[in-house]
Amino acid sequence: MQPLVRLDGASIGYGGRVLLEGVSVSVDAEDFLAVVGPNGGGKTTLLRTLLGTLPPIAGQRTAESPLRVGYVPQRDHVDALWPLGCGDVVLMGRVPGVGPGGRFRPADVEAAERALSRVGLEELWKRPFGTLSGGQRQRTLIARALASEPRLLALDEPTNGMDPSAELSAMDLLRELHRGGGLAVVMISHRLEAVANYARRLAFADKDQGLWKVGLLEEMLRPEALTHLYGREVIVREEDGRRFVYPVGKGEGR
Amino acid sequence: MSALAEFWSAWVIWRDPLLASVLAGALLGFLGVYVVLRRVVFVSAALTQLSTLGVIVALLVLEHLDLETDHQEIQLFVAWIFSVGGGLVLGTLGWGRRLPTEAGVGMAYVVAGALVILGANRLVHVAHDLNTMVFGNAVAVPFQDVVILVVVTGMVALLHTLFQKEIVFSSFDRETAEAMGVKVRLWGGVLFFTIGLAIPVAAHVVGALPVFAFLTIPASAALLATRRLPAAFAAATALGAVAAGAGYVGSWVLQIPTGATMVVVAGALVLPAWLWRRFGG
Repeated sequence: MQPLVRLDGASIGYGGRVLLEGVSVSVDAEDFLAVVGPNGGGKTTLLRTLLGTLPPIAGQRTAESPLRVGYVPQRDHVDALWPLGCGDVVLMGRVPGVGPGGRFRPADVEAAERALSRVGLEELWKRPFGTLSGGQRQRTLIARALASEPRLLALDEPTNGMDPSAELSAMDLLRELHRGGGLAVVMISHRLEAVANYARRLAFADKDQGLWKVGLLEEMLRPEALTHLYGREVIVREEDGRRFVYPVGKGEGR
Repeated sequence: MSALAEFWSAWVIWRDPLLASVLAGALLGFLGVYVVLRRVVFVSAALTQLSTLGVIVALLVLEHLDLETDHQEIQLFVAWIFSVGGGLVLGTLGWGRRLPTEAGVGMAYVVAGALVILGANRLVHVAHDLNTMVFGNAVAVPFQDVVILVVVTGMVALLHTLFQKEIVFSSFDRETAEAMGVKVRLWGGVLFFTIGLAIPVAAHVVGALPVFAFLTIPASAALLATRRLPAAFAAATALGAVAAGAGYVGSWVLQIPTGATMVVVAGALVLPAWLWRRFGG
């Protein structure tokens, strides 16, 4: 399968400062790739390099042209001060398609309404974005990404700061969208537990260890690999078809 | 004859200045919505200072070349270069991770201010006119300035009508807009180009202090009183026009300084906006 985007032997970083070297990864149309690692480990830089907003310092990036990307930022990066309705925010997803100088047409509004409906918020079109709950804001941002009818959905820490129930609900939504077909998902997270039941492939990124590793989820969730990543013992258990990942505290027994 | 009756009888004198003030208030009120929401209030202060520096530089060069210093179009042109250039640099370029943006804005403001003082010090023989050239004179505005203001307002209105969705998206969520292929530097540049274009011509009419006030206060009041962006733009434009117009009339009738009166009127509009938000909206 032709990859949507691919990095070959890339050194990633910014301002001439390399964070990770020898990064090779490709994302195809059926992929669900989760990039996990500690805060400040280079995950966001990797995502920006994959999306083409930051050039690799060395190596190569190739991508389908044009690559339609739907992007979901961390929800606290979005300014709730702006007096925008939920629908206004979702319509922004149509801006790249409409192009400079163009006006939103009825088809754009319909696409935005459909996207809001896919995330279960069709009732909130007129609700001010700033008055939404954290989970609703996240879903609105996902709807905005979907409104662009993307081939690749990229998410930066989509469950950051969520309570466990909202986190599960957001991840279930992502799985549903991915399974709906034709949508590759790349998400980054510092919480392995959040992605262990959803991703098809997993990557570890940690600039402090000079670590870049990518593989199928099952291979990457081996306790030895995780222990290497976290620098402490990690237990992976399966209960009722769900995986649970427990880093063990120093001095704690099993 | 009462002060108000005197005012009406002198309409030929105040027609152009009032029109220019109202236009400047409306234009800056509109742009102020972006200034406030992008949290770049002090960029507008720095640009006003840079525009003043442009006028001083123009005067110094004209004087050095032994030319007449009364070429207002040259002063305005150089002020535009400084203001638009400053807007593009301060508004669209970052300082990387080493310095916050505010540091660059603060440096531009204070260094430009110091250079204005040093430059003005060399222009003692035009000191009498300098105050009017730099800080405006809303009491006597020539028709030519009204025309320039109308043209600038038209250009700003055209650019913001054509590219509003791009400017709003890039301003609201730069990270996502960039990731989704929107040219955020270009649209940030268009926004700061229009702000840089408006400041010198408005400062020439109403003065530096009202420019800073109109880029901040009407938008703040509008954002307090409204809940949707189009309404905020409309309200900020209207409040800017009302503050400038009422301030001009008030200063004439009460025989008090025009620029300061405009700023006080603009400030007084925030209270009803806050009350509306608190109890009515």
